[in-house]
Amino acid sequence: MDNQIFYQNNQTIYTANPMKGLEEKLAILADAAKYDVACTSSGVSRSGKKGYLGNSVAAGVCHSFAADGRCISLLKILMSNACIYDCKYCCNRISNDIPRATFTPEEICTLTIEFYKRNYIEGLFLSSGVIGSPDKTMEKICETLRLLRTKYKFNGYIHVKAIPGASSELLYSAGLLADRISINMEMPTNDSLQNMAPDKDMSDILLPMNQIADTIARFRVASGKSALFERAKINNYLVDSIWGQRQEHIEGGNGDQSYKRALHILSAGDSAMQHPAERKDIALGRTFAPGGQSTQMIIGASGETDYQLIHTSQALYRKFDLRRVFYSAYIPLNEDAALPALGTPVPLLREHRLYQADWLLRYYGFYANEIVSADQPNLDYAIDPKCNWALRHMELFPVEINTATPDVLLRIPGIGPTGVKKILSARRYGPLNFDMLKKMRIVLKRARYFITCGGKTLGLLNLDDAYIRRCLTDECREEAMQITDSGMQYRQTNLFTDFGLGVG
Amino acid sequence: MLTCIYEASASGLVHKNIRLMLEPIQQYTLFDEYVHVSSDSAKAAKVMDAIVTRISYQVYRELALASMAYEEDVLDNIYHVLLLGFHHGPSVLEMVQYADVMRNAEIRLRVKREANRFQEFVRFHQIGNTYISHIEPKSKIVTYLGPIFADRMPSIDFMIIDDVHKEALVHPADSPYYLRRLTEEEFNRLQKTEEVNDQYTDMWKTFFQQIAIQERHNERCQTNLFPKWSRKHVTEFM
Repeated sequence: MDNQIFYQNNQTIYTANPMKGLEEKLAILADAAKYDVACTSSGVSRSGKKGYLGNSVAAGVCHSFAADGRCISLLKILMSNACIYDCKYCCNRISNDIPRATFTPEEICTLTIEFYKRNYIEGLFLSSGVIGSPDKTMEKICETLRLLRTKYKFNGYIHVKAIPGASSELLYSAGLLADRISINMEMPTNDSLQNMAPDKDMSDILLPMNQIADTIARFRVASGKSALFERAKINNYLVDSIWGQRQEHIEGGNGDQSYKRALHILSAGDSAMQHPAERKDIALGRTFAPGGQSTQMIIGASGETDYQLIHTSQALYRKFDLRRVFYSAYIPLNEDAALPALGTPVPLLREHRLYQADWLLRYYGFYANEIVSADQPNLDYAIDPKCNWALRHMELFPVEINTATPDVLLRIPGIGPTGVKKILSARRYGPLNFDMLKKMRIVLKRARYFITCGGKTLGLLNLDDAYIRRCLTDECREEAMQITDSGMQYRQTNLFTDFGLGVG
Repeated sequence: MLTCIYEASASGLVHKNIRLMLEPIQQYTLFDEYVHVSSDSAKAAKVMDAIVTRISYQVYRELALASMAYEEDVLDNIYHVLLLGFHHGPSVLEMVQYADVMRNAEIRLRVKREANRFQEFVRFHQIGNTYISHIEPKSKIVTYLGPIFADRMPSIDFMIIDDVHKEALVHPADSPYYLRRLTEEEFNRLQKTEEVNDQYTDMWKTFFQQIAIQERHNERCQTNLFPKWSRKHVTEFM
């Protein structure tokens, strides 16, 4: 493939002068990469070195916010959008007639370095369409990263996408060069993947995911850390969560579960990558993917239910110790009988509710089966999943703020991990009242229906779930009116049944 | 500020009868007497020593962070927190039941948030081999940004100029950074750096345009996360 001229199917697709060409290529390849959701630069803390460029901040740094309100933290680009696959949902599929371009490794390195020096970005997010074969693509990606780490002495954050079907030697190299590695699952079930992406196979996704998870654990154990990643500290307060029992959390990461994992790794029965990687990559002395791995699933392209999505996420977190599962609301781009028609509204609210459910799994000690059930496979879009759970379990409320345990506090709508920590610390010095809760910025408009403070309630306490539901949805009436696909049934308010105003 | 605190405590007046303010004073009151205090490094060093030895270095660091703030009552607040600190010791900043300590915590949080915002939104322009940026923050946060950017780009010459307070943070490659108060002439010369654009400035604008998904357009969310007042020197909005 020539540097400036690109051919596909023997047809000239793109010609340009070098400098102008780079801008055009950037326009094409940034446009092609924008549907990938992950743009986080978090998970790794690394200070700068003399002679090198860059560092990494564990909390992540967002450098800008695009017109859609999403953060721009990394230079998110594809290596090439000339893909040989024909996935139905993808804008870069081979059957689409769009301008195609391919970056050379040097071009990507220059862009990253120059943008980084100007404080535009925190690092590089590199993905690609499949050029020729998965191995060939992955080789090019590794070449780019190697160049960036060695010749250009880049010490910032790199997120690399693993191409499904690439050999594990190449994935090993990529993991050593990058900070986070991810493979997009796209669909939660094998059937939907077969239907949507006939060239891909679920085993090509899950097998490397498992290999990467085991290799990360192996490197962590070797450097004296726990085999599994440390999770948000609030999980240490919880009796039980998807990350394991509480006693396992205390003392060194994830305790017992992590210990079992370490034994499994050391018993050589694991699938960690063991073949020698590229000598240069080993010589860099870097840890394998210190920022862990993540994945992405598309929402609303095929008929998957929230039940499937949330249960798949939970399984991924528990089995592969994933740092994040991202959800991407499908934007109708392609015409296909199997896809939603062009002009179908983007399911943004559904995506939002799924992220809320995801947070409940990771920070609040919920299990997937508490959030959705097989009988009711979709979330209620009119109300958030935590309120919804609370309304279905009114027998547990009201909760006394001054005596409740942390895991019970965390289940009250309107109180999150920060709120729980504030309440716990303030309770050490004396009893709390509603004024203090307000000062602590607890969201009383939701919490008020579920709590008591020293036996007192804020206003009249009515524990009827239909009444609370009406109050909660009424507070954001404008929002509720916009929810068209909520499936909510409206009916006339009745003074006699709703407010108990009996005759006589 | 430290000299002012020294003078206030040495004046022998009752603490509640003193109010410390930063010049220029916006609104004078009728019945108060105003005493101007010029800075004196010996007195300032005495106060600093007293804070570090009698309270703690951590408290000194936190109060230094608060002193970057633009709030009118910040100096008076620091003075009162120090009085409490000399009484209670190093744990004074956790005693939020005191209104002054609570107010101090609020100020520090705001300054930290503002500084973190500028850590994200500082934009450099390349002039020769030097990278220069201009910012217009509300608080004096360049000293907060110093170590962050020195760690990020240790082997690069760069300069961050605070246009509001006319201060510049200068970092020569592979050396420690320093702070410099700019003269009028220097300041005017440095104003022109933003006119220098190169192909990467244009490319960044292109990238910024392309990466947004039109179908998800959400200006309110963007403005919420990236307020308009902080966009003044940001390349993609220029």
